[in-house]
Amino acid sequence: MRQVTAIMFVLSVTIGCAANALAYDSSGDRQFPALVLSPQVAPGDEFYLTPETLPQTNGATRESNFTATYMKTITDDLGLVVEETWTAIGQSGNGTNYGWQNLDGELKYLAFKRPDHEFLLSLGLDRETGGTGAARVGAFASGATTPRVYFAKGLGDLDIGYLRPFAVEGYGGMQFADAAPRPDQTQGGFVLEYSIPYLQSKVRSFDLPDWLRHLTPMTEVSFTTPAGRSYGVRATMLIGPGVSYGGEGWEFAVEALVPATRATGDGIGVIAQLHFSLDFLFADSIVGKPLLSSR
Amino acid sequence: MRRREIILAAGSAAIMRRSTAPAFADTSAGVVVGLVGNCSVVRGGQNIPLKLGDPVATSDEVDVPADGRLKLRMSDGSILSLASATRISIAAYQTDAAGQRQNARITLGQGLLRAVVAPMAHPAIFEVGTAVGTAAVRSTDWFIETQPGSAQVGVLSGVVVLRSAATGRAVTIPARWGTRLEAGRDPVEARVWAPEEFQAVISRTNVP
Repeated sequence: MRQVTAIMFVLSVTIGCAANALAYDSSGDRQFPALVLSPQVAPGDEFYLTPETLPQTNGATRESNFTATYMKTITDDLGLVVEETWTAIGQSGNGTNYGWQNLDGELKYLAFKRPDHEFLLSLGLDRETGGTGAARVGAFASGATTPRVYFAKGLGDLDIGYLRPFAVEGYGGMQFADAAPRPDQTQGGFVLEYSIPYLQSKVRSFDLPDWLRHLTPMTEVSFTTPAGRSYGVRATMLIGPGVSYGGEGWEFAVEALVPATRATGDGIGVIAQLHFSLDFLFADSIVGKPLLSSR
Repeated sequence: MRRREIILAAGSAAIMRRSTAPAFADTSAGVVVGLVGNCSVVRGGQNIPLKLGDPVATSDEVDVPADGRLKLRMSDGSILSLASATRISIAAYQTDAAGQRQNARITLGQGLLRAVVAPMAHPAIFEVGTAVGTAAVRSTDWFIETQPGSAQVGVLSGVVVLRSAATGRAVTIPARWGTRLEAGRDPVEARVWAPEEFQAVISRTNVP
């Protein structure tokens, strides 16, 4: 029973990491790229697809997820996120289980923005609806609610020369399970990124190849720790070094998935994301702007 | 559509009026339709005060003082609103007999310009150049502001392409978005402008 709970927990961690992959945002001249493992800070009008695969332990050989996420702004500062994940879990000697994860939604509010300091702070309230997914792929029968705090800070306002394209983003939250045996857990993560578009437009324009001008190398770290009774669940940490390519109205990112604990995974995985900025592609329609737009 | 027809008709009427003034018959570009303060035009080396109804022409340098604002209706029906402390020169403004824009090139020396560019039946150039780059559009409602060493563009509707004079790199800016361009560099990635950012440039270019 403990082993099954552990598998379910690891799956929820991995899926949760992808579920946190929200849209990009900006502050001042800083454009934060669409992240893959870690959540973005602010609401937006976005749609993106995130496939991933990661070798597993504790009776599962490999878990693969395919996540679709839709984000819609209600006002300029308030938005809704809806997300669903389809999962395939390879079992040791028992074939593969397929199914949907629980439906996930989040209300997100951009609470504070300082463009001159490339800083953002927002608050989120995530709700996973229990029982909407398949237990055979680790979906919990009970739901969970997670309040979160997000931040993003670009270093462009500092006098540090070629280090100005660096930015850091992060979040922290506490997931409260509706019922046992699902544990409560703390969630957190941070991202370190170096924006070459920012280097070219704000620091110095080098004669770089066109493809290189669109890249943002970044490393994401996501972790969880059970709080209170753990039901056999252990702490996890996932590290995602990778790169994002930004086009006009779309982005593509790919990262390695490096488990930092045995409870997280059993080998190197990979995650990718194809991201569409609906507010760019459909700027003049309701698809691309807030439902209650002042413009 | 009806509004567009009215604007075009008004523009055509302005052209007809100007056609009676030989000095501007070949180079007329627009007419003053709103004015605050002591705005002027430099024409042939002479500084000439502007008043309502005065024409502006190709090669004119239009100057709006720190306490002034100016609105021009161009020969193709486009509306240019100039904020205080703004200076533009009309490098080219060619329309055909039907008032259809062929080629419009304006240089923004300093200050803030709002352009409500009239849509044309065929592709027609409308460009605003600054010291650091050029913004090109077909039809849109947008702003461009230049300061020493930089320029910024905000778009209310339509699409603007901002190109760096130094690197040749361009960025596309859709409605509700904006961006900046600094001298010698690529354009900054475009982003959604906040309502207060638009409100600031709207109020500065509002000519009663």
